[in-house]
Amino acid sequence: MSSAPKGSGAAPETPLPPGVLRAVQLRGMFVQASWNYRTMQGNGMAWAMLPVLRRASEERRAAALDRHAEHFNGHPYFDSVALGALSRLEVDEADPETIRRFRAAIRGPLGALGDRVVWATAVPSFALLAAVLYWMGVPGAVVAFVFLVAYNALHLAIRAQGFALGWEAGTAVGPRLRGLDLTGRAERFAALTLALVGVVSGVLLAGGRGVGALEWPWFVAALGAFFVGYVGGVRLWRPTAIVTVGAVAILLALGSASLLSG
Amino acid sequence: MTELLGLALLGAWVTLDGVTVGQFMVSRPLVASGLAGLWLGDPATGFLVGAVLELFLLVAVPSGAGRFPEPGPAAVVGAAGAVWAAGPAGLALGVAAALLLGYAGALSQAAQRHLNVRWVPDPAVQPVTEAAIVRGHWSSLGVDAIRGFVLTALGLAAVRMAAPWASGAWPLDAAATRGLLLVGAFVSLGVLGRSLAARHLWVYLAVGAVVGLGLGAVWG
Amino acid sequence: MTVVLYRVDERLIHGQVVLGWGRELRADRYVVVDDALADSEWEQELYRLSVADEHDVVFATLAAARAALPTWQVDGGRTVVLTRDVTTMADLAEGVATDGAEVNLGGIHHRPGRREVRPYLFLDDEDRDAVRRLVDAGTRVTGRDLPAATRVGLDQLLA
Repeated sequence: MSSAPKGSGAAPETPLPPGVLRAVQLRGMFVQASWNYRTMQGNGMAWAMLPVLRRASEERRAAALDRHAEHFNGHPYFDSVALGALSRLEVDEADPETIRRFRAAIRGPLGALGDRVVWATAVPSFALLAAVLYWMGVPGAVVAFVFLVAYNALHLAIRAQGFALGWEAGTAVGPRLRGLDLTGRAERFAALTLALVGVVSGVLLAGGRGVGALEWPWFVAALGAFFVGYVGGVRLWRPTAIVTVGAVAILLALGSASLLSG
Repeated sequence: MTELLGLALLGAWVTLDGVTVGQFMVSRPLVASGLAGLWLGDPATGFLVGAVLELFLLVAVPSGAGRFPEPGPAAVVGAAGAVWAAGPAGLALGVAAALLLGYAGALSQAAQRHLNVRWVPDPAVQPVTEAAIVRGHWSSLGVDAIRGFVLTALGLAAVRMAAPWASGAWPLDAAATRGLLLVGAFVSLGVLGRSLAARHLWVYLAVGAVVGLGLGAVWG
Repeated sequence: MTVVLYRVDERLIHGQVVLGWGRELRADRYVVVDDALADSEWEQELYRLSVADEHDVVFATLAAARAALPTWQVDGGRTVVLTRDVTTMADLAEGVATDGAEVNLGGIHHRPGRREVRPYLFLDDEDRDAVRRLVDAGTRVTGRDLPAATRVGLDQLLA
C-alpha cells in the first residue's frame, strides 16, 4: 500500500490520441449531471471518464466501469484533478485496488478544497465585489459582465490546471496540491473577503442607492440587523428570509384591507 | 406567450447552471435577474431585484447538502414579478416571491436527487454498463432541465396573477420599501461576516466599512 | 482540553467535517482511526489536504488510538476523532469512552443490505449492532451531517 505510486512522472506507454484527454476534461463540466443520493457524483465521474475507459483492454473494461461509477463526492471544479489522475492511472493500467483506494481518498480533500477555495472564498468575494460596484452606481449589465468574466477566468483555470496536475502526478498528487497551499491562501484571503463585507455594508449605509438616501431610523435598523446576523450566525438566515417574506405579505394584506374599506 | 416561454427557458438554463452543468454562476441572482429584466425590456428593475437578492443569498452556496434556496429560477421569477408589478410594489413582490420560490427549488432539487437514484446505475447493486451510465446521465440532466422549466413557469404564473393586486395594495413608498428589504439583507451580510470572522479578523471588517462609507458618501 | 467530536464518516476528513464542524467547534486536531490508512503514506498525504497547516492530523491504528484516547480527552487540544464505520468506533469506545460523549453518525453511504435513515446515512444490521455497543459503552449516538441540522435519535437509527 505504501509502495511507490504508479503513474507518477513517466510518459504513458501507449500514446493517446490527443482528443481523448480533452474530451474527459470537457465532460468534467457535467460531473454533477446525475447527482443522486446513492452514488452522488459517481455516475458523473464515470460518464466523464468514458473516453478513457472505452480504450481499456477487454479484460479491464467491465471492472473499470464499475469502479468509476462508485460513490464519489468532491467539488465540481476540483474534480478535474481526480479526472486527470484517474485517467493517468487507467491509461498506465495501474493496480485496480490502488485506483479504488485513490478514488476513495481523493474525493474528501477535493470537496474540502472546493468548499474553502470556491464556495467559501471565491464566490462570496466576487459577488461582494459585484455588489460594491452595483451599489456605487455602475450599470447592472456592466457589473454582471465583469463578474462573469472575472469569476470564470478563475473557474476555468482551476479546471484546466487541476486536470493537468492530476494527469502529471497520478497518485502522488497529494504533496503537489499541498505545495500550492490553496487552503492557506483561501484562509488568508478570508480577511480580504471580510473587508469586502465591510465595504459593501458601508456603501449601502452611506450611498444614495442604499440606506444612505433614507431617513436615519433605517440607518440604525440596518446597522442593528448586521449585528444581529453577526452575533447569531447562520442559524438566523432562514428566520430572516421568513420574516422578510412575512412582512411583505402582511403589508400587502394591510394594503388590501385599507383599499377595501377606503 | 413568447415572453413567458423565454423566461421559462431562461429558468431551465440557470437551473442547470446551478449544479448540473458547468456552474458558470449565470445562476447568481444578479446575473439571472438581470438577464430576465433584459428579456422583459426593463434591465434596471431586473438588476435591482438581482442586487437585493444577491445580498440575501451571499451565504447560499451549493456546498455539502445545501439547505439554502436555489437561486437561479427564483431570481428569474423575482425579476419578472418586479417588472410586472412595477415600482416599490414590484420590488417587494419580486424579492418575496424569489425567496419563497428558492425554497421550493431546494425542495424539488432534493426530491429529484432521490428520483435520480432510480435510473443512475449503482455498482454496489449490479455490474455497470456503458449504456447504463449514459442513460443515467441524460435522464437526470433532462429531468433537471424540465424541473427548472416547470418551477419557473409556476412561479411566473403566480407572480403574474399577483402583480396587479400587489401594485394596487402595496402601502409603502419607494424609500421605505428599499429600507425594509435592505434591513433583511443586512442580517445576511452579518451572517456572512460572522462566517469569515475567525481569529480577530474584525479589524478588516471595520477598515472595509470605513472605506465603504467613504465610497458610498462620495460616489454612491 | 477535550475530544469535541466523535464522528463516523466514510469520507473521513472533508469539507463538512473541517468547515461545518471544525470551525463551529474550534477543533485543532483531527484523529483518523483506520488500520489500513495508518500504514499508507500517499493516502495520508491526500487526507491531510483537507486540513489547514496549523492543525494537527494524526493517523492511528485502532490499538494506538485506544491507548492514546485518554490523553486526547484531557490534553490541551480540541480533538475530532473520525472512523470510517460504526464498528471501528464501537471498538474504540468500549472501555475508554467518556460517559455521555456524543457519537455523531455523519456519512455512511448506500450498499446492498443497508437501509436509508437519512440521505447521508444508511445502516445495516452490523452497523446497528455497533450502535448498540456504543450505547452500552455509555455514549449518546445520534445521526447528524452538519451542526445546524436536527439530530436523528436512537429510535430512528435502530428502527
